[in-house]
Amino acid sequence: MSAIEASRLSKRYGRRFAVKDLNFKIGQGEIVGFLGPNGAGKTTTLRMLAGLIRPSQGECRILARPSPSKELREVGTMIEEPSFYPYLTGKGNLNYAAKLHGGVKVSRIDEVLSFVHMENASHKKVKAYSQGMRQRLGLARALLWKPKILLLDEPTNGLDPVGIAEFRESLRQIAKEEGVTILISSHILAEIEKLVSRVLVIERGELLYDGRLADLTRQLGDKTSYRLLATDQGALEKVLSDLGFRAELLNSGYIKVEVSSEQKGFLSGLAHVGIDLIEASRESESLEGAYLRLLKEDGRPV
Amino acid sequence: MALWHVIEAELFKVLRKRRLYVLFLLLWLALPALLILIGFIIKNNVGDSFVDEGEMVSTAVQGIASPIAISRLSLFLLSFPQPSYFMIVVALMAALFMGEERTHNMWKTILTSQPNRLMVLLGKLIAAMLLMGILLAGACLSGMLFGTLAQSLLDTQFGEGWMELLGFYAYQWLFALPALLFAFLILWLFRNIALGMVTVMFLPIFLESLYTFYRLAVGFDRINRFNALLEVLQIQNTLKNLPKYFWTTNLFAPARQPLAEISKAMGEDFSELQGPFSQFFNGNLQQAAITLGVYGLVFAMILFWNFRRKDVA
Repeated sequence: MSAIEASRLSKRYGRRFAVKDLNFKIGQGEIVGFLGPNGAGKTTTLRMLAGLIRPSQGECRILARPSPSKELREVGTMIEEPSFYPYLTGKGNLNYAAKLHGGVKVSRIDEVLSFVHMENASHKKVKAYSQGMRQRLGLARALLWKPKILLLDEPTNGLDPVGIAEFRESLRQIAKEEGVTILISSHILAEIEKLVSRVLVIERGELLYDGRLADLTRQLGDKTSYRLLATDQGALEKVLSDLGFRAELLNSGYIKVEVSSEQKGFLSGLAHVGIDLIEASRESESLEGAYLRLLKEDGRPV
Repeated sequence: MALWHVIEAELFKVLRKRRLYVLFLLLWLALPALLILIGFIIKNNVGDSFVDEGEMVSTAVQGIASPIAISRLSLFLLSFPQPSYFMIVVALMAALFMGEERTHNMWKTILTSQPNRLMVLLGKLIAAMLLMGILLAGACLSGMLFGTLAQSLLDTQFGEGWMELLGFYAYQWLFALPALLFAFLILWLFRNIALGMVTVMFLPIFLESLYTFYRLAVGFDRINRFNALLEVLQIQNTLKNLPKYFWTTNLFAPARQPLAEISKAMGEDFSELQGPFSQFFNGNLQQAAITLGVYGLVFAMILFWNFRRKDVA
């Protein structure tokens, strides 16, 4: 049984589709990254999954039941910037959410506060909280009723690097210990690449990629680049150009050349035409590069 | 169970707002204290003087500062001035239960913590009605308490007619439901909390004043384009009878019922009042209940329909 399922999920505002024909399934206990630039439709999709907005077409299922349904009680959310009553304390806000949901033990509030390291600030009014404290309190609230699914929308916004690392570790712990399914959105790949193994890439409301993170570079052509230094850089540049490679002279004096997997034996070819190489280093395309290229291939200026 | 959870959470939240207590204490403490002070001034400054022939002063003090009189006046004064204290409280309730959720961007939190939208709205309404009940019961009790404490000072009697007065309080509490539905609807639809509150407090009075102005300044019998249209539509008589269905007149029918008793205590009798204000003071409770029931039903249908369907940002 899928924990989260979207089939032909669409949301239209006037003539414009914010989300168009999204299809994906997320199994129980999976941690999936939801990637896309700002305005790609990530938040709209998460809002539809959380039952906050109604799809224009298609449907989403939470724990195999069409959403919205009572299964949404099993979902913890943190959509965009977490919001609180500023006149209540951090603990007061959690108490409110716990009462509203029902079935949450009082001791659970202290448990989640301690989990996000907020026990000392829990008696302060939320209006005095920093952005990072609000983010952590937001995660605590999402975890209050031990949800089976977590929908997190750019949860690390406003956190410092230490906070981001702590946040990531907390999520890893929740997924490991409690088997929670997590769908986490971000517009920055680096933020989630250490946490997730599978990503959904969305752009202009349409799904561009759904698969393992490791496959993302391979599927996009598995390009490798080489940095070369020869005794005669001018001759090297000319030969590369004659052989049909795209060569670029870097400020450092090196020549950078991109080669596909079929062309990997080109180095021996250079020796045959009399190029005397001093140095050759290989650079595999980074995940970030592949992600950016994926968006660029969709026609979007990156 | 979901309904109980919402009520519990909403009361937990609202009872932490200071302005609610200020508004409640104004009716529970300030008004009775003021009435006793007025009674005390009248008794000490006018009593035993030549003005007090026929025990006029003791009748007036009994009519202002006795336990029953304070409780009656507390109910009566809910409907005055305009916007009335009652509508100010209703607007504040709607702001606390509906308006602030938008201001603080809390709807997404509420509706993901408790996805049953019907129960969320119903729970908020019930919590608001409970608070209105506490406010009204507190007003009646504080009148009784303060009046009793002042008895030895002002030589007043405890008074009779408590059961009837309690009935009026109960009616006024029930009449708070359509008022809350109206206020919840406005605060749900309006993005701006202040504009919403002003609309709740002033829109009914504004529309009713427009009607009254037209009726007094032009009238429905003079020949003009508007009246000719009404003639064609055959709704002139309905329009003439419109004040019977006015929101304000009907909403405060229970609060204004004790006026006859209050006026008698003051040596006047408004129950026989004729003319344009007769409807204002001599409202029929049954008709008011039906009228407000219709208003309430319309507001409830729009509110619940819209609340269940609307996307939440």
